[in-house]
Formats: sequence, C-alpha cells, structure tokens
Amino acid sequence: MVRIGVDHGLCVGNAMCVATAPGVFAHNEHRQSTVVDAGGDPAARVLEAAANCPVSAIRVMDSETGRTLFPPEPGARS
Amino acid sequence: MIARPYASFARLRERDPVHWNEKFGLWVVTGYDPVVWILRHHELFSSAVIRGVEGAPYPPVLPEDAPLFDEVRTFRADQLVEQDRPEHLEQRKTVHSFFTPTAMESWRPFVRRAVDELLDELWPRGRMNVVTDLAAPLPVRIIARLMGVPREDMDTLRGLADSILHLNRGEPDRLRPLTEGIRGIVEYALPFVEERIENPGDDLISALAQGETDGVFTRHQVLVNTGLMLFAGHETTMNLICNGLRAFIEHPAQWDRLRGDPDRFARTATEECLRFDPPVKSTQRIVAQEAELCGKTLSPGERIRWIIAAANRDPSVFEDPDRFDIGRQPNPHLSFGSGIHYCLGVALARIEGQEVFRGLARRFERFTLETDELCYQPSIQFRSIESMPVAWGVPA
Repeated sequence: MVRIGVDHGLCVGNAMCVATAPGVFAHNEHRQSTVVDAGGDPAARVLEAAANCPVSAIRVMDSETGRTLFPPEPGARS
Repeated sequence: MIARPYASFARLRERDPVHWNEKFGLWVVTGYDPVVWILRHHELFSSAVIRGVEGAPYPPVLPEDAPLFDEVRTFRADQLVEQDRPEHLEQRKTVHSFFTPTAMESWRPFVRRAVDELLDELWPRGRMNVVTDLAAPLPVRIIARLMGVPREDMDTLRGLADSILHLNRGEPDRLRPLTEGIRGIVEYALPFVEERIENPGDDLISALAQGETDGVFTRHQVLVNTGLMLFAGHETTMNLICNGLRAFIEHPAQWDRLRGDPDRFARTATEECLRFDPPVKSTQRIVAQEAELCGKTLSPGERIRWIIAAANRDPSVFEDPDRFDIGRQPNPHLSFGSGIHYCLGVALARIEGQEVFRGLARRFERFTLETDELCYQPSIQFRSIESMPVAWGVPA
C-alpha cells in the first residue's frame, strides 16, 4: 500500500492524475485533486500519476516503511 | 495601454472584475478568483476559438491577403490548444509525459550549456539586443534539440520560427510571412514525421508521430502540432527573458540580490518575473454553457478573455502586488494558466528562465538600457518587447 499526499498550494487542477489513476484521484469542489482511495489503482499507476503532475504536487510514500517513492530522492536512481 | 497596461488593469479589476466590454463585444475578467474558476471549468468554456471566428481577421490585413486567412485558420484549428475534451485529453497524453518535471530536469545540463555558450560569446561585446541576440536564439536551439533535428538545420528552423511569430503580430501584411512559416514548418517536419513513424526515438517529433500511429492524431495534426511546439516554446520564452531582464534593470536592488546568490534565487526570481510581467498577458475562450460569475450571466457563444497580467497583481492573493520581489513565496501566479490546459511546457520554461537569469547574474554586473522607451508588439495576448538594446561594462 502507498500513502499519498496532494499539496493544494501547488495543485492547479490539471487533472492528469485523475486521468491516469481514476480509482485513486478525484477533483474536489475547487477542482483540485484529492485522494479518494489510496488503493483504488495499482501502485505503479499512482507513481505514474505523480510523475505526470506538471507541478509536482503529488507525494507518494510506502505506508509500511514511510519511504518516499515519489518524487525521487535527489541523486537516487529509480 | 500596450506599453504600460498595469494601472488600467488594476482599475478594471477593482471596479468590475468580470466586465462586459461593449466596444469589442466580449467579457474581460481581471480578478484572480474568477480567472481560476473559469480555467478550472473547462466544460463551460470552449477552447475552440479560432473555428468560431467569422468574417475578417483582426487587426485588419491587406485586402489582397485576405484569402490567406483560411489557411491560417485551418492550421490553428488543428492545434492541441484549440481542442476541448474528450479529444484534448487523448491528444495531450501523447506529449504530456515528454514534458514532466522529472523528464525535463534531465535536459537542464543541456540548457545550461546552451546558455553558457551564448553568454560567453556575447559578454566581450559590451552590448547586445536582448531580443535578437539572446531571447530569440536560445529557445529555438533548445526546442530543436528536443525535436531531434540536426544542428545544421538551426538557421532554417530559426527562420521558420521567426515567420511563425507573425501569429502574434498586428501588421496588415503579416499573413504572408505567417503562411510562409506555416507551409515551411509543415514541409520541413514531414520527412522527420515519416521517418519516426517507422523508427521512433525518444524525441518530441517521435512522441507526436506516435499519436498518429495510435489513431489520436491525423497527419495534418502531427505536423501542425510540431509547428505549435516550435511557436509556443519560442515567443513565450523570449518574453520571459526580455520582460524579466527589464524588471531587473528597473529594480537594481533585486538584481544585486540575485547576483549575491544566483543558485539560491534563480527559482523564485523566475517565478516572480513570470508573475510581475507575464509573457502571455491574456487568453480567451468561447462560453459553451451558461455560467454565473460575480453576479453576471455569461451566455453560450459569447467571447471571454481573461487578463493574466491583472490577476497576477490581485491584492487579495499577492501582498504588495506591484512590488517586484524575487524572494516571493508562495507565488501562485497564473502565467501558465490552470486546469486541464495548464501550460504543457511549464517545466521546460522554468528551467530555461532559471538558467538564463542564473547565467546572466553570474557574469554581468549591471545592464544599462540603451533606449529611452521600450516598444511592445501591439498584441492583447502577448507581452512582447520589439527591440531591447542593452550595454554593460567590459574591463579593457
């Protein structure tokens, strides 16, 4: 399982995350992305959605280890 | 109004943030919140603007050139930016992953090298025209590399890019160079598209060509969008460089602040340049469904234009909005738009701005403007300086 955070100070409602992982992300009343079900799509989809965010507003963590899966740590190779 | 628009924008924003302009027959939106609301409700506001334009082009063109307008309209109607959902989403997906922040970050060393090469060559001269010597050549060099076209084609591509800039001009004879540029880029791109449909690479033309293979684009759309990438990455970046440098020349204390620590301030300074004097002043849509906004009723078919340059200085969002402050954070300016049409090239534009301002600040102590007045292209959409001669001291 993954833990997902969306920074609403950054989110511009580009909706590419909703298009990429519709089981996980949906728009709220401000048309910003929110997580409706962190397990709604496979983790690979969630990571793809995070990478597709044009303003890097999505953070993905491993819920067991707490390790950040996206954005990649500086210098880390994925 | 063209050279110094900000006082008028502020008056309009204070008095009537969603204003019906009788003279031009369109809505003019200047408040930050209503602009964001419009941008996030794409289903109410159609991007298919050019297809709806009836009659003669504005500003007027030479009567004998009028037939060329259909060619321009056909070209623009197939651009990604003129599409609505559902087509827009499928088309955007073909190129979206090419431009993600992570993908673009891998291009930063190339951008930095291109900036260094240009600036090292310019520095000993002691003067330059920022528009033609720095702001125009740099983005074309970068977009050409992204497209994966040979370096020896650079002059051809620059010529085409300069012709296509007439999309944003007001001169009555602009349609001739514009259509030459449109035909030129279509003709130039065709063999590359044909080759990359057969042998796809990791370049931008291959990404667009893949859209044809997947049945998302027609051949014409692939060619038109190749031209769009050339144009969209050119004019906007030019304006970011020129308008930003102008702000620094007029705010020497902020220039000194950047020079004191270019690596630290390059990022926030670029965002502040984008907010303070945005490359794109305004954009437009057509009302698709009736909408209520700030007590006004917007009806289907009406044109609506919002002024990014006004929203970016809305005091309800930005403290002391007329102050140029390169450390400003947060800085949620609307210069890249918002919503589903949010600028595709945002990550590249940011890197280009950051590397240019960083590179300038590391080399140049002080610029002097060598003209009394800067003139701008007579455009409501783009904030484009026509010519910007500057000088700097070079030790003998």
